Amino acid sequence: MSLIVGLPALLALLLIGLWAAAALDTAIGRLIVGRPVGMAATDPLRAVVADYLRQRTDTEAPDHLNWLLAPGYYFLLAVVGLALVPFAPDQSLIALDTSVVLWGAAEAVVVVAVFLHGWSPNAPFPLIGAYRYVAIGLPVMLLSMFVLIAASIPAQSLDLRAVVESQRGLWNVIRQPLGLPLFLAVVMSLTLRGPFDYADSADLAGGTSAEDGGPRWIAWQTARAAMLVAACAIAATAFLGGYLGPVLPGWLWLSLKTLAVMVAVVLLTHLVPRMPVAQMLTLIWIVLLPIAFLDLLIAGLGAL
Amino acid sequence: MGMSWARAFAASGPPPVFAAIGAGGLQRAEELHGTLRLQRSPRQAAILLVLGEIAPDLLPFLQRLHDHLPHPRATIWHRATPPGDWTDPVQATADGLERTLTDLWRSILSGDRASEPDFLPDKPPNEWRGVGPHGQGGKGMMGGTPYGRPMAMTDDDLRDGLSLDAYSAPFGPFLPMLPPGLILDLTLQGDVIQSATATRPPCPQPGSDDRPGDAIARLMRVMDMPALALRRTRDGLPPAMGIAMLRRAIPDGLGRARDGTDVRDRLDRWRDKDAPQADDGTRLSDLLPGLEWHEAMIVLNSFQPDRIRAICARSGPEGGDEDDKDGNRDAPAHAPPDHGGHQHHDMTGPAA
Repeated sequence: MSLIVGLPALLALLLIGLWAAAALDTAIGRLIVGRPVGMAATDPLRAVVADYLRQRTDTEAPDHLNWLLAPGYYFLLAVVGLALVPFAPDQSLIALDTSVVLWGAAEAVVVVAVFLHGWSPNAPFPLIGAYRYVAIGLPVMLLSMFVLIAASIPAQSLDLRAVVESQRGLWNVIRQPLGLPLFLAVVMSLTLRGPFDYADSADLAGGTSAEDGGPRWIAWQTARAAMLVAACAIAATAFLGGYLGPVLPGWLWLSLKTLAVMVAVVLLTHLVPRMPVAQMLTLIWIVLLPIAFLDLLIAGLGAL
Repeated sequence: MGMSWARAFAASGPPPVFAAIGAGGLQRAEELHGTLRLQRSPRQAAILLVLGEIAPDLLPFLQRLHDHLPHPRATIWHRATPPGDWTDPVQATADGLERTLTDLWRSILSGDRASEPDFLPDKPPNEWRGVGPHGQGGKGMMGGTPYGRPMAMTDDDLRDGLSLDAYSAPFGPFLPMLPPGLILDLTLQGDVIQSATATRPPCPQPGSDDRPGDAIARLMRVMDMPALALRRTRDGLPPAMGIAMLRRAIPDGLGRARDGTDVRDRLDRWRDKDAPQADDGTRLSDLLPGLEWHEAMIVLNSFQPDRIRAICARSGPEGGDEDDKDGNRDAPAHAPPDHGGHQHHDMTGPAA
């Protein structure tokens, strides 16, 4: 797969994914409120254009460089994730036989990008959001590691291309029923959403993005949506058989499955409240991590 | 008229609004959450909506808030009287609000109406004269107020004995997750509250106490369920399933008041539409110290407007609440001064 063809195709898909993510978020939000969906498909675009036309605000003595770069880091990590996803047998932009490991590394660096975004404005709410996110981020990354290793066991490989091929008989979502629900929690944490949004939450008036105005706001929200697309594509690949499916071309199957995961994540975002930090830490360490061990055990026994 | 395609496209969407709520504006704000695009931070808003009467002592805070909005920006006064020296104020009637908003949004995007200038000088409250490549300071690492900026200093931790940095700052009066008008002086260690005093109590909100649906909605919004918060079933409350989820996410025993009720009990009373509880002499110092920020916001939103006003009114800096454990020193529900003697600070939170 040549980079010259692949990269523009990937960015085009990402652009469509971004728009789908924003439209889904708006439409599902309105459906839950009980309002007409209306212009949910174009309203996010109007908001983006409006914010680009507006002033980029600053705070007193911010970390200018990192404030500018944090959305870039976040976006780049999403692009790396998407580039690891195979869209046809043996076809992915980054052909790496340890792609699960690289994705795990990208997840971990998301914590750094979000922290820098909260650190840079030199203001209390963004900083509290940043530290809180790091506290929750560590155990969430452990969760991700266990469920992705479990998903790799049937393939006997840490290559996402092999992980998809190993699901030809049976998708991982059935073989390891605990994996996908746990990974949805990871997706919400990576994308700062709903019950796992400890960085950009309402109780902090927007947390790490509380000081983002105009283009800064749009840049961060775009990166956040890009990470949603990437993480959902990884979920579709690791648990829902990626490009596998009859009749339709592989990339279309992958897109449809990614969209389905996205709908699930957006619904959870809107319907599940966020617990206080201490309760969430207890839930992750005492309940979710043991369930992740169980998931690993099921995968291991299945492989024997 | 010479609006570019991009500007016209942007102007056809709903304007981003930040609501600064004053006396009597809370109930209207709940209604407007359903129809307007209300933002969580003034940085993401183009129009400042002043909702309810702003007491004179809050005007300097309103001006500072105003300057937080990026250009182009404008202000709309709704159920509020602009002060005499506010240049060219836009006022909106009850049914003309949405129309006024969209017109104003179009005219500031097209440039027909000039963006409102700053009230305050856009320069640091104290001069940076620090040494080093970033002007980061003088000698030593912690404590004191170098160049007029209070620095965090290590202090005993309430929970685990770790001596982390303590940091004091005022929060409010227009933060969307605090009762409107409340100014809290908090000392924080990380996000754990060490001490809390109310330097100004919340604005009165007549008629808001008998609206349990709105109270549940505010709690839902703090816990990031904004869509469910707007939905109402036939009994005027958010859906029962949502309330049950909300209840489960709230820790048992959180925010116990002097009458023995915790946040869950108060939520149950709203759900069952019981009469508002009588005041029981609770103070902020009974509720907030030792809580994490998120828990503290849940607790503050678990009281009806009149009750949290009474709690804050007796939790002022001169309240001496530590040595007055038997409480009930005064019954201040009617007494909080709107021209309170709060001091002005040079530092505020982002949405202060």
